[in-house]
Amino acid sequence: MRSVALAVLLMPALVPAATRPRYGGILRVEIRESIETADPPATGHGIPDLSPAFHITRWEAGRRAVFEATEGAPGGRPFLDGVEITMGRPLRDQSIDLELGKADLVELGPAEIRRQPPGRRVWSSSPVRVLALVFSPKVDDSRVRVALALAVDRSAIQTVLLQRQGEISAALLPQWLSGFAFLHPTGVDLARARFLAAGARPMSLSVDDSSLRPIAERIALNARDAGLTVAVGATPDVRLTELRIVSLEPARALAVLAGALGLAEPARADSPEALYAAERALLEGYRVIPLIHLPDVYGVGPRVHGGQGITPLGEWRFENLWLESGRP
Amino acid sequence: MTFRTRLLLVFTLAVVGAVGLVELLVAGNTRQTFERMEAQRADVLTRQFRKEFERRSSEMVRAVNAIAGSERAINMAVSPDPASWYSEAAQLAATHGLDLLELVAGDGSIISSAEWPARFGYKEDWLSAEGDWKRRGAFLRREELRDGTALALVAVGTTVAGDRRLYVVGGEQLDRDFLSTLVLPEGMRVLLYRSLDAAFSPRELIDATGPVPGAERLRPVIEEVRSSRREVIRTVGVGADAETFHAVPLTDFENQVLGVLLIGSSRRELAMLETSLLLNGIAVAAAGILFGIALSWWATARITRPVNRLVASAGKVAAGDWNATVDISSGDEIGQLARAFNRMTGELAAQRERLVQAERVAAWRELARRLAHELKNPLFPLQITVENMQRARERYPEQFDEVFREGSATLLAELTQLKQIVGRFSDFAKMPTPEMQPVDLNGLVRETVKFFEAQLAQAGIQAVTALDSSLRPLPADPEQLARALRNLVLNAIDAMPRGGTLTLRTFVLPGAAMLEVSDTGQGLTPEECDRLFTPYYTTKTHGTGLGLAIVQSVVSDHGGRVSVESEKGKGATFRIELKTEN
Repeated sequence: MRSVALAVLLMPALVPAATRPRYGGILRVEIRESIETADPPATGHGIPDLSPAFHITRWEAGRRAVFEATEGAPGGRPFLDGVEITMGRPLRDQSIDLELGKADLVELGPAEIRRQPPGRRVWSSSPVRVLALVFSPKVDDSRVRVALALAVDRSAIQTVLLQRQGEISAALLPQWLSGFAFLHPTGVDLARARFLAAGARPMSLSVDDSSLRPIAERIALNARDAGLTVAVGATPDVRLTELRIVSLEPARALAVLAGALGLAEPARADSPEALYAAERALLEGYRVIPLIHLPDVYGVGPRVHGGQGITPLGEWRFENLWLESGRP
Repeated sequence: MTFRTRLLLVFTLAVVGAVGLVELLVAGNTRQTFERMEAQRADVLTRQFRKEFERRSSEMVRAVNAIAGSERAINMAVSPDPASWYSEAAQLAATHGLDLLELVAGDGSIISSAEWPARFGYKEDWLSAEGDWKRRGAFLRREELRDGTALALVAVGTTVAGDRRLYVVGGEQLDRDFLSTLVLPEGMRVLLYRSLDAAFSPRELIDATGPVPGAERLRPVIEEVRSSRREVIRTVGVGADAETFHAVPLTDFENQVLGVLLIGSSRRELAMLETSLLLNGIAVAAAGILFGIALSWWATARITRPVNRLVASAGKVAAGDWNATVDISSGDEIGQLARAFNRMTGELAAQRERLVQAERVAAWRELARRLAHELKNPLFPLQITVENMQRARERYPEQFDEVFREGSATLLAELTQLKQIVGRFSDFAKMPTPEMQPVDLNGLVRETVKFFEAQLAQAGIQAVTALDSSLRPLPADPEQLARALRNLVLNAIDAMPRGGTLTLRTFVLPGAAMLEVSDTGQGLTPEECDRLFTPYYTTKTHGTGLGLAIVQSVVSDHGGRVSVESEKGKGATFRIELKTEN
């Protein structure tokens, strides 16, 4: 809970100058993800968070979703009349739409954060996404996995490619959630990596999201320095992926992550020490190499008012937002 | 080989030789001209490439300096956070049309790389080796790229802001895109070998479309340029596939050969031209051969026709036509030869006529002599007898009857002999035409031996016959053939006055039958053999010389041949060869 409090304290106090909330208006949100399911997702991050304050009125799989304010919502009717979500929008296009006033709320990638004009409001969650390398079962030589873990320069990735977003970590659970992430070493040891990589066969590294490709390229370059041949390709020996922390309760969050990564279920942990041991046991075989914990970052348009619309876990909370153009 | 064939060959060889000589001269001159033109074209292209290279270099330097002098570069140089410029190079490269662009901090760390964005933070130590990059201009360099190593034309610009420094390294890859911008004349191409490794690598030889197939054949040329660092000109391949390459070394600022530019000029046109010349030459030669044949036909006809006439006339002469002449009126050597021939045949005919007349006179003389000799012998007793009868009438009338009776008997006997002599001459003159019928030659021999059985026994001659039983009847006149055989037997009896052996033998020859009559008499000299069948020639004191002449006449009328083989003192053998079929 101490970490949650810290995250809340880090939220920028961006209360707009407007004095009174207004009802009405449609909040235009753009996201990179393209959800192709026939029906809107009921669980997970983002769109499911809108319920029950909003209810779905239009669903165009992979393209668009329209939500309308629920009059009898538990906390009362939201100020907004509705939320319109455009899916599958590239990050760069989202930034442009925000700049041109075509969108009110967009996701910001590292490159876009740097390009935002002065005064742009940015909502940022706690580091809730784990960027990690996950080896396929066919990479059965643990020395190769260790070599790659020792070769990756997390610092350069975080400083340059992520523009200092997130936190370097070799742990699955972020520091703010577990408090012991710093105990997992993140240093680079090329000499040892070269020793371990001797005789290793070439590997292929794939990315789940094209926005992760520059990071994958850098990892391939680091691997080459260690004597490993890693090509960024489609048929993976190792995968660069992103997983989300879904719970503020560390043990549960670890269990969910382990399940998502195909690792064994961690031992029951009633104490921080036990949790650390459980996490360490999960990472012991180097099947998964956590790299960086990243926050959700949103760029907010000037007509959006009403405080930060996301929680420390990155959940959408739009019921208290209101728009400049709404009804007085 | 005939005279005409020789002439034909000479004419044809002359034409083909002349055409071949012209062909060689034309082909040689054409080749020289082509080589000269090709060298000029390659030289022009090499100069064009160098000019293009210099133009690109200037553009490169200009673009790099523009970036280095920009406000952004200054901001980058003084920026406390190089990470924020991470993606800058890609944008600047796109703006300035550069393939390669790296923005490098003063310490050599890459801030941003357009060609390999992931290389930020890596060191480019070589940049600190040169003090004045502006003076250096553009140069070739091996560039490490994400997909491997590339050959590039690069320039370095420097931004200095206070004590901070920023290197701007811009470049353009020397790849197929670069080659495709070069304008080439027809039949020429430009290849580039990127000398990225110490060992020759065929896939590093490219043209405007990509890797060059069959790069191995250029390996010697490329390796020669790499080792000598000098421009070389070599022809690769043969025939229409041959290509002349001007290979130019491309070096970096330390004079290391980083690439080899190969300007290839196809020799296909030359090969086609040579083929065309060859075909034309062959056509002309063929026409020449035809012309030669026609010409030689005409010429040889003109030359050899009189010769052929001479040959024909000579043949006639050889066949017995002594009146053969050649009708040639030309005044050349052939005409002279023809006239000499005509003179020769004329003289030969005259000589022959004279010879025939002489022989005829000699024959008449011989006949007269023989007649006189034959008639003189009976005439002399006649004369004596008549004189005795006259003397007895005058001197001894009482004995006249006795003398007259004896004289009359003698006269009658001598007159009978005279009559016989005249009859033999008459018989020879009146030899009838043979009446052919199948005749058993063996039977004829047996009958003849039997006919002379008593006479042979009286002369002490043993008759031996050796007859071939396989001998079939042959067409002949039995009377004439028997007469001839009897003459031979009589001749043999006369040749053996002291007895001996008479052998009669028959045997079969292909298409003929042979009859041999051999005696063991005194034999004949070669001269006698030569004249033996001449009428009225005899070696005997009492012969008419007609016996063997009759034999030859009979055998000749039967289409056969008669010959004699003899050696003095060893007897003689007469052979009669007769056809078994008509």
